Amino acid sequence: MIQLLANALLMSTPLLFGSVAEVMAERSGMMVTAIEGIFLIGAFAGFVGAFAAKSLAIGLLAAVGSGLAVAALYGWITVYLKQHQVVTGTAINILVSGLCAFLLRVFFGVPIIPLTVEPLKRLPIPFLSGIPGLGPVLFDQNVITYAAYAVVPIAWFVLYRTSLGLSIRSAGENPEAVDVAGQDVNAIRFNLVLVAGAMGGVAGAFYSIGYLGMFTTNIIGGRGWIAFAICFLGNWNPLGALAGTLVFGVAEAVAISMQSSGGGQLVPNELLIAMPYILTIVLTIARRSFNVPGKLGVPYMKEG
Amino acid sequence: MKARYLDLFLSVAAAILLGLGASAVVMLFLGKDPIAAYGLLASSVIRDKYTFADIFVKAAPLILTALAFAVPYKASLFNIGAQGQFYIGALVASAASLALGNKVSGAVGLVVVFLAAVAAGGLWGSFVGFAKAKFKANEFLVSMMSTYVALAFMNYLLRTALMETKHEYPQTDSFAQGLWLPLVVGGTRLHLGFVLAVLIALAVWLVIYRTGFGYRVRVVGLNPDAARLAGIDSRATYVATFFIAGALAAAAGFTETNGVQHMLVQGFNPGLGAEGIGIAILANANPIGIVFASILFGALKVGGVIMGQMSGIPASIVEIMEGTVMIFVILSYFARAKLEGSREKRELRRRMAQ
Repeated sequence: MIQLLANALLMSTPLLFGSVAEVMAERSGMMVTAIEGIFLIGAFAGFVGAFAAKSLAIGLLAAVGSGLAVAALYGWITVYLKQHQVVTGTAINILVSGLCAFLLRVFFGVPIIPLTVEPLKRLPIPFLSGIPGLGPVLFDQNVITYAAYAVVPIAWFVLYRTSLGLSIRSAGENPEAVDVAGQDVNAIRFNLVLVAGAMGGVAGAFYSIGYLGMFTTNIIGGRGWIAFAICFLGNWNPLGALAGTLVFGVAEAVAISMQSSGGGQLVPNELLIAMPYILTIVLTIARRSFNVPGKLGVPYMKEG
Repeated sequence: MKARYLDLFLSVAAAILLGLGASAVVMLFLGKDPIAAYGLLASSVIRDKYTFADIFVKAAPLILTALAFAVPYKASLFNIGAQGQFYIGALVASAASLALGNKVSGAVGLVVVFLAAVAAGGLWGSFVGFAKAKFKANEFLVSMMSTYVALAFMNYLLRTALMETKHEYPQTDSFAQGLWLPLVVGGTRLHLGFVLAVLIALAVWLVIYRTGFGYRVRVVGLNPDAARLAGIDSRATYVATFFIAGALAAAAGFTETNGVQHMLVQGFNPGLGAEGIGIAILANANPIGIVFASILFGALKVGGVIMGQMSGIPASIVEIMEGTVMIFVILSYFARAKLEGSREKRELRRRMAQ
């Protein structure tokens, strides 16, 4: 049970980064539909950086940098050139997927045994990890998971308790008012896309260097989209996103433990794999009243 | 009007060239000669009849998955689930083909298999439209997620009921030869599926632009409020367009299993859905444009593989080309809007001066 909960938190980590990143950006009016590509490039650059420099920290930096680069391209086309966000994101996702497959071959050829790096180690916090029950779940995790604990409070505080947060939310609801107040709507939105790019890069790197210690071209397999979905399901609120990621984390941890414990005889393995996706569909249908940012996905056109 | 069509043609052509140019830069970084690579790509696709015909073999399913994106797009709906609808079509086409075996073959058998696949794909797709109509569920998310469910479903069946007799590989047995789509050109792989896809594209064009139903779809897409005031039931449009989309993508499943593979192989053609979206964007969701854009992507795929074998550039460069071409097409939308704006301003000034 404790192992299951600890795994659930572990598997929630990248989804939390991704979905909170999406919440922040969408609150400013920007759907980051390139999130799947950002996850993927983060996973790839993280692995390449860690493998080449033999340092997970370098890998993480590379992941953030590559996430920023993809987000900048996405933001430039959608914020400044006002092009369609879904269409642009789709194009970027295809491009990134090709780029990763291509560079993987170029850098590493076709290795006979899969290349690996030592994944992030767990870092038990003294005393706290000794608390019965809670300790091993909460305080015996890796660094990225610890960082994830801070993500929700920070995002919530910034969005609801600072003037910056007010500007962000207004850019998503009433950009004209932000403009009249002398702030640059496009700059706010672009910067939020960059924030999402950096966080999405970390999330992607979590899969390659934080968890598996290797990279495959299908390593993300739609998890960027699940983070995207959690943002919707969590009602565009960091706390909602936290609840959503925990649900998915538990689902994924249950699937993993059933697979390894031979529960596959009872339930087909494929059903367990499909569970998070089915869950998303069910929750998308069940969630009725959405608190959609008023101008989500609508480019800001200045009059005149 | 005429100037606008010229703009469209020139800007798309420029976007394709720029996209290929950007991919050339990627090759340069690797110390490969892009001019030689593109020369190889172009000459390899026309080197013999078999290879040239393969362009159209690859284009057939792309036409159908691109249409599967384009039809709901006309109603401002996003079908990101063509990949899953394609797999459902392929699954049902395979199950039907294996069930028919040698008992029913030829035209009758193929029509039965086709209808079964299309009906199943249509129902699978219409669930997305239904969820949108009934529960206001976001069609983008539901269709996206349905792909992963379809994939898991396919993997399950390929491990159990549909697995080949020797139980070694996750694939089905080969279909009875009577259920293979007939070849159009002897000595190649070009089967009837391409002709079918082109005919379907023409039919979709007629439906969208020349029927009352198509008109209602476009009104819902352009202005949902006006549609409501005009008494158009947009919810019925959601279900209908997603049914059509699912059926179209499933038809691609049929052409691939019965036309090319003659069996169902786990996880085949994984990029078809995403490429379909790219093609639809490239063609501005116009069914006729989609046919030509699919042939372009088909040529890139065929040429890319040969180029990869001969020059040592990984074949995934093709995906980079597709991606960069798409990005430049999107940029060309922006450039065209600018051109259009400045032309209107000039026109206005000219009239005011008179």
